[in-house]
Order: sequence, then structure tokens, then C-alpha cells
Amino acid sequence: MGCCKLLLLHTTIKMGSRALLLLRPITSTKDLYFKNRFLSEALIVEKRRVRSYSVRSTIHPPDLPRLAKTARISLTPDEVEEFAPKIQQVVDWFGQLQAVDLQSIQPAIRADTKGENLRDDMPETFDNRDAMIAAVPSYEEPFIKVPKVLNKE
Amino acid sequence: MLSSVHNPRFLLLHYRWPNLHFPPKPHRQTTAKALHTTQTLTLSSTATSPPQSQILTIRESLLSRRTTAVELAAGYLNRLRRTEPHLKSFLYVSDTVLKEAEEIDRRIQRNEELGPLAGVLVAVKDNICTADMPSTAGSRILDGYRPPFDATAVRKLKECGAIVVGKTNLDEFGMGSTTEGSAYQVTANPWDLSRVPGGSSGGSAAAVSARQCVVSLGSDTGGSVRQPASFCGVVGLKPTYGRVSRYGLVAYASSLDVIGCVGSSVADAGIILHMISGHDRFDATSSKLHVPDFTSQFISRDLLESKPLKGLRVGVIRETLDDGVDPEVISLVRGAASHLEELGCIVTEVSLPSFSLGLPAYFILASSESSSNLSRYDGVRYGNQVVADEINSLYGDSRAKGFGSEVKMRILMGTYALSAGYYDAYYKRAQQVRTLIQESFKEVLDKNDILISPAAPSAAYKIGEKKNDPLAMYAGDIMTVNVNLAGLPALVLPCGFVGGGSTCLPVGFQMIGAAFDEEKLLKVGHIFEQTLQGCSFVPPLVADDFAC
Repeated sequence: MGCCKLLLLHTTIKMGSRALLLLRPITSTKDLYFKNRFLSEALIVEKRRVRSYSVRSTIHPPDLPRLAKTARISLTPDEVEEFAPKIQQVVDWFGQLQAVDLQSIQPAIRADTKGENLRDDMPETFDNRDAMIAAVPSYEEPFIKVPKVLNKE
Repeated sequence: MLSSVHNPRFLLLHYRWPNLHFPPKPHRQTTAKALHTTQTLTLSSTATSPPQSQILTIRESLLSRRTTAVELAAGYLNRLRRTEPHLKSFLYVSDTVLKEAEEIDRRIQRNEELGPLAGVLVAVKDNICTADMPSTAGSRILDGYRPPFDATAVRKLKECGAIVVGKTNLDEFGMGSTTEGSAYQVTANPWDLSRVPGGSSGGSAAAVSARQCVVSLGSDTGGSVRQPASFCGVVGLKPTYGRVSRYGLVAYASSLDVIGCVGSSVADAGIILHMISGHDRFDATSSKLHVPDFTSQFISRDLLESKPLKGLRVGVIRETLDDGVDPEVISLVRGAASHLEELGCIVTEVSLPSFSLGLPAYFILASSESSSNLSRYDGVRYGNQVVADEINSLYGDSRAKGFGSEVKMRILMGTYALSAGYYDAYYKRAQQVRTLIQESFKEVLDKNDILISPAAPSAAYKIGEKKNDPLAMYAGDIMTVNVNLAGLPALVLPCGFVGGGSTCLPVGFQMIGAAFDEEKLLKVGHIFEQTLQGCSFVPPLVADDFAC
């Protein structure tokens, strides 16, 4: 359980919008999905509040080593060299939307799927638990094993 | 009453392939209801008769006991084995296909009820979960991963009697337009092995095109079913966002992803859509709207009136026939518009002023959402894990080893766009553009029944041609991404060929409909397909199999 908590904490620090991950359950257990969903809803509210007051006045070009650290992806120096101009090129291209007048236009989260479809918040037991556990790379009944989590930071 | 088409390309018989060995159906209706009754068919074929539903033909031949499920399956498997070394459309081929076919034959022997897809070989894109087969999403990080459940769409097809023949190749996590982005192999286009099949559902499109399977499932985030359908000369259907459950689809960009269908005829794509549609309690974005019988209005060619689409309003999207689009493709789409006019449609030009904003908005949303969605691949609960002495290296190095370059770049771009303080500048703006696009589509679809455009700016290009230029690659998605932003259904179907002789390549055009109105698209598509003359979209690679 300590492991699970750590994972959630890790992703909330790391990623921008947790809500995106949670539009649908994929390969995680349903239990985890529920926990995530409500955690994420709380975070969205919080984030929106923070964000509306913290828009940077200037936009800095992508700093690849920092982004890689944020996303927790190790990059080789060769990759940094290869990706940097490509990412810069795409981000510059993204920038064309800055010139569009979008004031008073409401953002659309996604297309309308017509109607309220959320199911009741009732935990269910996933019936193929063994197969799920079999997919865990390092497992020692009843724990998912990870290396030490308290590091020098 | 068969229309002649103004575009001379339609009249050129580049390939005069004899009819498929499936007998054409002189039937009043090829309805899903008809699926449950034994049909008697007569053989009568012309040199280039329109594509027939392989699904209905299989059903008929099983029920009439003209052939067995094992014979049918063996036919597809033999072709698969022969063509696969050239095409590489599959990442995994099931070893239980014949066993499952035997079981169907036993049911037939015992006169037991048969599911509507009994004996139909379905290929499934490898980012759609299957419990008894690996599901890698084309990524090393999921090498060897076997999901503990079937995706809802797969489960529904199996419940209808379909046999899953294998898992098809794709750009890693669906991020690409060529299938070159797979961590495992590059799939070739069945029409020209030196060219890409499109992507990201390139394996699913190539497999149907080469008749390695009957139909396939793909996924479409920004055109990943439609563009490969165009490149491979097959029918690709992207349903409305919310029509099909995505439970078990490996998430890429959740506000855009849909599961789609690929078939060799409009009828087959429609039948598959009918089987997988509907609300699913495991996907809160799947709609509870009623699912009509998409197939009930497929009318046999012999029974069509002279103007079967009389009064149907068709809008040609002006912005899609602009500079940067291959003139041959433009002329084919204009030819398709003329063909619709011959069928009774009222064709006008319409404008979507926000069209060009769709591409950057799409890539901001898709990369941002992917940076969030792909954070689940940390090497802890599933997938490949590297040896590390502390947790952050475990995450970082597992991803470094497991993800390919394009995936890493998209995650990093998304991380940038979602960085504190940049959200309003990128993600929110892109969502505002999405509103503009939704509104402009709504405006033109209030005045038109369907809209048409190319499915891609060109026919299939060479393997390697655009691999190192991300913006050139992204630009290829211009025709399709707006449809995902608006969540609308779209059908791509072949309408002719570009080039000639040995470089002859198929091209599809796109029909876009109002939300949840797949029915109309399928009806129009079916009539278009049944009345299009002089084109057979069976690639030379397998044409011999279909000689009379």
C-alpha cells in the first residue's frame, strides 16, 4: 500500500492534468480507478484555481533536461541533442494559436457524449486477479517490489 | 442507372480483377436481421462487380453447408502465411484459429444457433486488449504483456462468434501515420511493398486489404483508421466519440480516441460497428443513446432507383481541396462528388474557417493527454522493468528503454505544454479552438447531410520518406484531425486510383456526418460503393486468389 501511495504522489507531482488519465479505466484495477478518479477531481479543482492566477507572462523555450526530469524519462546526451531542435520546432508551431482571438470562447473538454453515464461508486472485485498479478515484473507475495524509495533527495 | 463518372480515372480499368470468389448477393436487403436466416444465392458475376460483404457471404456459405468454418479459416490463414513475410501486418498470430473454427463446425453439425459473426476472422490492433494474446501497443515497454481481460469491443465480437486471428502492427501507442513507428517491425502497403500502409492502424488496414482476415479493429485518435484505409484501398469507419466502448483500448489521448472498424466493403464495416456499439458500464464516456441497426438500409444494387440519394445535401469542404493536396487526389474527390451528384445528391461547396487551426490544436491536446496517460508505464505494475537501485531511476530508465523516440518526444512536448503557467497558453487555447471547430462543423452540418473531403493529402508514400521530419508527418493528418476534435463519425471509402501501371495506388475519400448519425454515412457509402464502376480494390499481391 505504501507503494501505491507513492505512485500516486509521484504522478501528481509529475504530470499536468491527472484528469486526462482518468477519463476511462484501462489496465489498472477498478479499485485503483476509483481512488484515482476522486483524487483527480479534487486536484482539478485545486489546479484550476491555482492556474488562473499563475499564468506566466513570458513563455520560455523548452528546457529538455528539465522536462525529462519532470516526466521521469532518462535521456541520453545523444537524445537530448536529437530531440531538442525537433521539439523546439513543434513547440514554435504550436505557438501559432497565440495569435488567434479566443476571448470569450469556452474551452471544450471533449465532444458531447449525450447524457450522464457515470456508474455508482461501488467497489467491485476484479475476477482475473491472478493474471493481473502475473503481469507484475517484481512480485513477492503479497507485495509489489520496488527499489528503495527514500533517496538522497 | 449506374452512373458514369466525370472523372476519367473512374473509367480507367487499371485492374480488371475477376470477381472475388464470394458470390454476389442478388438480395433485397442485406440486413442484420437477414443474418439470421439462411440465404440462397445465385452466382452471377461481372468483371468488376462492386465489393460484397464477406461477412454475409461467410454466413450464407456456412448455413447452406457449402463450406466449413475450417475450410474458410484455412483459406485466410494460408494467404496470411504467404503474404505475411512481405507485409508484416501482424505482431502476433493466434494458434487456435482452426480449433475455434472446428468448434463452429461442430455447432453447425448439431444445428445449434450460430452467432452473426460465426467463422469471421477478425484482426485486432495491438493497442486493444486481448486476454489470451499479447497486447504491446507496438511498444517495447509492453513486450510480452498479456492483459488480464478482453477489451469490450473484442468481447462483443467474440460473443458474436468471431475468431480473433491475431494482433496487428501499429505506430507505438498509435503515435504516427505510417506504422514505421512500431518498436517491432515496419508494415508494407499491399499495393506497393516499398510504401507505407499509413497509420497508426497500418497493420489492420493492410491485413484487410490483403485479405489476411475478413475485418479488423483499429483505433482513431486523429485519423489512424481513416488514413490507412485510404492508403490500402479499404473501408475505414471512425464512429462518433462515445459510440463504442473504449474499455481495454490503450489510452493515448482520451478526449479524442475511438475504436474504429476496417472492412473490404461498407457493409462489413457497418456490421462490425453494429456489433461493438453501445453503452458499457466500464467506460463512462460510452453513450447510452440508442444504437440503430446500421445495416438495415443496405440496398442491393439491382434494386436501387435511378436517383437513390435524391435530395441529399452534400457539402464539399473547400479548405480540404487547397494547396498542398495532391492534384490527383483533388480530382478523385471532385469525381466522387460528381458521382454523388449523379446519384441525386445536391452538392455544394462549404467552408470551415477554423479548419487549419485544427492541426496544431490537435497536436497540443494529443501530446498533452499522452504525457498524462503514458505516465502509467513506470515498470512497476506491468511491462518491462529495468534493474535500478532507487525508485526514480527505475521509472526513468524503464521508460528510457521501453519507449521509442516519437513517444518520448510527444511526452516531453506534452509535459512542456502542461507545465505550470503554460496551461492557458497551450492546452486551454487548444480546447477553445476545439469549441470553434465543433461550432463550425455544427453550422455546416445543419445545412448539409454529409460533408466530404480527401482522407489524406496524398496516396501512400515511400517507407522512410517522412520519417525524420515531424512537421511533414503531422501535416499528413490535416484531413482527419478536425473530425476527432469535433467527435463526429466519418467513413473513408476507396474512390479510385492515382498513378498508373505498376505504381497504381488506391485513394479513399472521407464522408463526415452529424454526431451519432453513422447510419446515414453507411447508407450513402454503400450506395456509392455499389454504383462505382471500373474499380476493384483487391491488391495485385492477392488477386490470383480471387480469380473465378
